[in-house]
Amino acid sequence: MAGITLRQVTKKYGTLSVLNGIDLDIADGEFLTLVGPSGCGKSTTLRIIAGLEAQSTGDVKIDDRLVNDVRPSQRDLAMVFQSYALYPHLTVQQNLMTPLRMRDLNFWERLPLLGFLVPGRRAKMAQIEEDARKVAEALKIVPLLGRKPGQLSGGQRQRVALGRAMVRNPAAFLMDEPLSNLDASLRVHMRAELSELHRDLGATFVYVTHDQAEALTMSDRMAVMMDGDLLQLGPPDEVYEDPQDIRVAEFIGSPKMNILPGESDANGTITCLGLTLDEGLATPQPGKVSVGLRPEHLHVQPRETAECFSGRLTYKENLGSDLFLHLEMAGVENKAVIRAKPHEVDFAAVGETVWFKAESGRMRVFGTDGKRVALTAPDTKRKVG
Amino acid sequence: MGRNRAHIWFVGPAVLLMIVLLILPVFVAAALSFTDYSLGNSSFDWVGTKNYDALFSRSSYAKMFSASLTYVLLVVPISVALGLGSALLISSLRIGGELYKAVFFLPVMATLLAMAIVWEFALHPIVGIVNDVLSAGCDIGWLHALLSGSWLGRDPLSSWYGDGCADSFPLWLGDKDYALGTIAFIGIWQGFGFNMVLYLAGLTSVPRELYQAAQMDGADSAWERFKLVTWPMLGPTNVFVITISSIRSFQVFDTVEALTRGGPSKSTYVMIYAMFEKGVKQNLLGIGSAITIIFLGFVLILTLIQVYFVNRKVHYG
Amino acid sequence: MTFRASWLGEFLKHSVLLAGAVVVLLPFYLMLSYSLKSPAEIESNTGGFVGAQEMMTDRRCLKAGNPPEDCEMRPIVYNYTAAFSEAPLLRYMLNGVFVTVSIFVIQVIIALPCAYALSKLRFWGRNVVFGLVIFCLLIPVHAIALPLYIMLAKVGLTNTYAALIVPWSISVFGIFLMRQFFMTVPDDLIDAARIDGMSEFSIVWRVMLPTAIPALLAFGIFSVVAHWNDYYWPRVVITGNRDLMTPPLGLRMFKSDLDGNEYGPMMAASTVIVMPLVIVFLLAQRRFIEGITMTGMK
Repeated sequence: MAGITLRQVTKKYGTLSVLNGIDLDIADGEFLTLVGPSGCGKSTTLRIIAGLEAQSTGDVKIDDRLVNDVRPSQRDLAMVFQSYALYPHLTVQQNLMTPLRMRDLNFWERLPLLGFLVPGRRAKMAQIEEDARKVAEALKIVPLLGRKPGQLSGGQRQRVALGRAMVRNPAAFLMDEPLSNLDASLRVHMRAELSELHRDLGATFVYVTHDQAEALTMSDRMAVMMDGDLLQLGPPDEVYEDPQDIRVAEFIGSPKMNILPGESDANGTITCLGLTLDEGLATPQPGKVSVGLRPEHLHVQPRETAECFSGRLTYKENLGSDLFLHLEMAGVENKAVIRAKPHEVDFAAVGETVWFKAESGRMRVFGTDGKRVALTAPDTKRKVG
Repeated sequence: MGRNRAHIWFVGPAVLLMIVLLILPVFVAAALSFTDYSLGNSSFDWVGTKNYDALFSRSSYAKMFSASLTYVLLVVPISVALGLGSALLISSLRIGGELYKAVFFLPVMATLLAMAIVWEFALHPIVGIVNDVLSAGCDIGWLHALLSGSWLGRDPLSSWYGDGCADSFPLWLGDKDYALGTIAFIGIWQGFGFNMVLYLAGLTSVPRELYQAAQMDGADSAWERFKLVTWPMLGPTNVFVITISSIRSFQVFDTVEALTRGGPSKSTYVMIYAMFEKGVKQNLLGIGSAITIIFLGFVLILTLIQVYFVNRKVHYG
Repeated sequence: MTFRASWLGEFLKHSVLLAGAVVVLLPFYLMLSYSLKSPAEIESNTGGFVGAQEMMTDRRCLKAGNPPEDCEMRPIVYNYTAAFSEAPLLRYMLNGVFVTVSIFVIQVIIALPCAYALSKLRFWGRNVVFGLVIFCLLIPVHAIALPLYIMLAKVGLTNTYAALIVPWSISVFGIFLMRQFFMTVPDDLIDAARIDGMSEFSIVWRVMLPTAIPALLAFGIFSVVAHWNDYYWPRVVITGNRDLMTPPLGLRMFKSDLDGNEYGPMMAASTVIVMPLVIVFLLAQRRFIEGITMTGMK
């Protein structure tokens, strides 16, 4: 078991910079997710940890051992690939045994035919078969051992790929979007299984995904990456509740956080769409700001009251337990979304104006540079938005 | 033209032509192979298996089979190995891969007959550039010593090169011991680039993640990864390339007809050339047809072998 | 890898490939070089690539009774004029273009509707027809040249353009390739065309043909290269009539006509025959290699 440390890791392809100095400490036994849109550098980071790609500058340490010049196979890591990358010509059993054969047998023992003549090979092979079988039992894939990957379903291949990673008892598991090739229901089911597996093994997991739901549900901590930068690192709750960057705020959470245009004056008072908000900037600075409000923190009012936001209802998206109202608001580019319980908004009809208020203390304000700005405590003297 | 009938117009001409131009000739050849038919004669006699008896008894036909088989056994393994080797080298290059690819593919595009004539001239025993270069090397002391093996203390005359220097270099196409090898060399020169592009296509279809998985699993050297990933994944390409090369080299004709006409002493008397000589030039259509049938038999066997391998193990699903 | 770039390995790879490239390019180099040089330079292997280009006398020109000063010319001029005057090279080239283009056009006209029917229409006997196509794929046309030749002779077609073209009019391979391609075209496209009121006939030529352009291009490259370079079939069916000869056959006649020291003109003729395809190949390399790989079945 091991912790992994990245120090100022950069990666450039020619003049194109894909990683701009990543610092990351992954604790021993942690489930850490690297999440971000495609092209953000998360997969590159994982490949650099694995040793499949070399960083341009910076250091990678595994268990305090500098591994910059260590081959992938010597880093004591295992990887699960998006396509599973099972050897199609080998049976499941042979696939599971491959990492062990490579590690435990020497060159002569691996030779076809001739290898059988090397003394001691038989005992080693028996051990390897035993190890592979144990993993197969743990993953409940013993009946599949004789089959080839082409004869397996997506979920079964996924298990075999996990098994091939587990069989070596690696210090850490690296997973590159391992669930993205599964269908939706299986994906949800596998999330739970992976979490369980992580608990059982107690090993370090580094998990790459573009799916923020996977990151939120499984990780101990998540690292949100964008454009080659690590924007925020923290437990899922913290990242969701306290996004430090407007890009993080918009990426994490579904439906997206609503971003409304606002302005602050010299006193730090914020006005948004003509309303004055009940929280102001902690360090007043006049200028434009973006006000972020999650859909579940907006509450529909049965009728127009003072200091209400309003918008024209364009679409009611009914998910059964929840209902999303899509509103067109003057001065806002994207449609605002409100999460409500169906019975609460019976009266709202498409095409009509809907009034709503924001829950106090829930708004997150970002400066023009996209960074979060601190707010004062709710102030009753200021008007409620 | 109604929709229900359209297919007749669409499929009809093709089916008719397939039957007349491909199926019928096979039966015509099969029938004529039991006759002594020749063009211009109004009648012919059924001669039973006489033509086949001749094919399997006369020494000139024994030479024909041996020339064809030797040619195939020379060209197929070497052009396949060179194709695979160059594809592996080219795909592992950092720069310049496209250039080599174009160069090696050039002979595939070029008119073989024209290039054969150039080779003939290059291999001309007296004015040809090949023997010119070889004999120029004789006068360079260290090169002569290296190539003749005399630097190892061997007698230079006992080596091929030393003997060539002292006496003369081969006549290539004019020497019955060298002619088939020389024709095969031209065949390899012409064909390996084709195999190369097929292998390159096969290599690009190997998922990159498999190589990375192999690296993670401990296949550290290029050779280990070749064994674990590349070679097994090239299975379908191998079957395909070998079958195609075999069928193509069985059909060798241009170089033989233009350069040796089956000689010297029938050492390059390959099947298609024999078929042409007997059937077209000498108007012995019975024996020519018998060669045709045997030739088709060979092609059928090769194809069945291919089908067997395709169905057996290289299908990964 | 962070492991230091293996420049030694790269160097070794380039050395091996360069050596191979020299052997591969040697005949092309010789062909071009000999087509430029005088007979004396060719025989003595001197003069580098282009030769000295000293004035030489054209013996045939003298024999024809021209004054000696009119028969002085540079070797390069001599070689190329001889190539076009001693043999009807231009005629050969035009024959080659006519034959290859005709073959390709007829192959498409026959194969495309058949491939469409096999992939998109349901009719009784479809599997039989497809089975026939697969079976015919096994028959190399070169192998059945003899019975075809007899059949053509029986209907009196040897020594005609038809003899050069007709046997190739059916390309089972083309049908197979097009069918595989059409299988990937969504049925919805055809249903939409039907709803728009198109007849099956116009679907083939106005809907399927345009969508099949990439596959047709690949097939066209394959077909043109094969038939421009084909020597065997013209050799079988064309005997003596020079007006019908295709470039390789013409070159072969040229070779047997000339006496030993006329390599210059012959190499000039070879250059003229080989170069069109080589140049097009170099300009559109990727397409060519794709086309040949895609159609690599024959």
